[in-house]
Amino acid sequence: MTKYITQAQDVIWHRIGDDIVVIKDNGLTTHILNKTAAFIWEMCNGKCGIDEITKRLYEYFEVSRDEARADASDTINIFNKKGIIKYTSVPVG
Amino acid sequence: MKQLFDTGQENETKTEETSFDRTLTLRIGSVCCALKCDDDGVYQRLHKLYQGFLIGEPPDITVELKATDRLSLKNLGAAVSRTRYVHNKKGGHFRTNSRIISGEYDLAQRLITIMGERNLANPDLKLNHLNRLLSLAYYSACKINYDDKIPEMLVHSCGILRDGQALVFTGPSEAGKTTIARLCGRRDGEVINDEMLLISRPDRNGTGVHVQNAPFLGTFSSQRNIKSPLRCILMLKKGSRTTIRCLEKTEAYLRFMRQIITPAYIGQKDKRAVLALMAGFSAEVTGAVPVYELEFTLNGGALWQAMGELEWALDKKGQL
Repeated sequence: MTKYITQAQDVIWHRIGDDIVVIKDNGLTTHILNKTAAFIWEMCNGKCGIDEITKRLYEYFEVSRDEARADASDTINIFNKKGIIKYTSVPVG
Repeated sequence: MKQLFDTGQENETKTEETSFDRTLTLRIGSVCCALKCDDDGVYQRLHKLYQGFLIGEPPDITVELKATDRLSLKNLGAAVSRTRYVHNKKGGHFRTNSRIISGEYDLAQRLITIMGERNLANPDLKLNHLNRLLSLAYYSACKINYDDKIPEMLVHSCGILRDGQALVFTGPSEAGKTTIARLCGRRDGEVINDEMLLISRPDRNGTGVHVQNAPFLGTFSSQRNIKSPLRCILMLKKGSRTTIRCLEKTEAYLRFMRQIITPAYIGQKDKRAVLALMAGFSAEVTGAVPVYELEFTLNGGALWQAMGELEWALDKKGQL
């Protein structure tokens, strides 16, 4: 079953140049996402799962499918550990 | 009384003549806040403190001040330092844990009523609570008039006016804002305020950020209601030499955000919404204005020489 990925509701984020800054815990925690992580973050819109994100990474960054899969998985795992994303069983947004 | 903005505009201001009325209406950025005093002594003190910002327009919000006498000046000073605000869960009422202030509010009626110790307006007492009261009234008036599109936010900063433009020095407490003001001689510039300033959002073109003085009291607050374009922001760092480093945008965004006075209106409970306002404002301002880190010493000559060189570089860049 596809798991859709969405940004956690308690975060605030802004694109600052090529980076995205994600703020959590009422400002106590900040995460600065580089270009690749920022691209993946913006795809965490509740309408995409890991497969869709992998496909878009492969198309946009001109990397191999395996590299795209690895980047997407690793980054999403980090987002999940930091509590800035959630999984849903149905698309949201 | 006429007040001169650096844009050359003049505004007529009007002071309240009768102590019977005891109402002071202050211009704070884009809003007017009225302070209605039931005590003539409090009225006279506040009139003297805020005379540069008095205006004769209808207020956007009224704060009724009712004086109480529960504490001596000495005990009040100790109580102020440990005071926290406690809001009633249902809304409409608040008090402080030290019980030096309590009150009620109704934003639909544009009214805040405060019962507070008379000596809070005493010139011998640090003025933090007056600043806090005014910032609360300001943001409450902004909520009424602008909802979440606050046109100017308060920033913990020192502003220096030089050649018609403002340099804003900012940083946490003890970073050196008042020191910068002390080092500013007449030939170096004019101190706008060494405590808090209003900074506007950029316009649709991403330009036009301006700085405005407001009746927030520090050590060197000007009584002039100055408004001028913002040239650049300097994040302060005390050091062993005078150097300036351009901050990359992400660092500027995060550091500047921490200097914004929390834009919470009275009764505001949604911390995430408040943080979102601060983050959005910081992104807009630091995206429009150059931000630097200034490491400085007590050598005023070196400081203003460095500022002059920075201004020259910015002017040259602007001409390209």
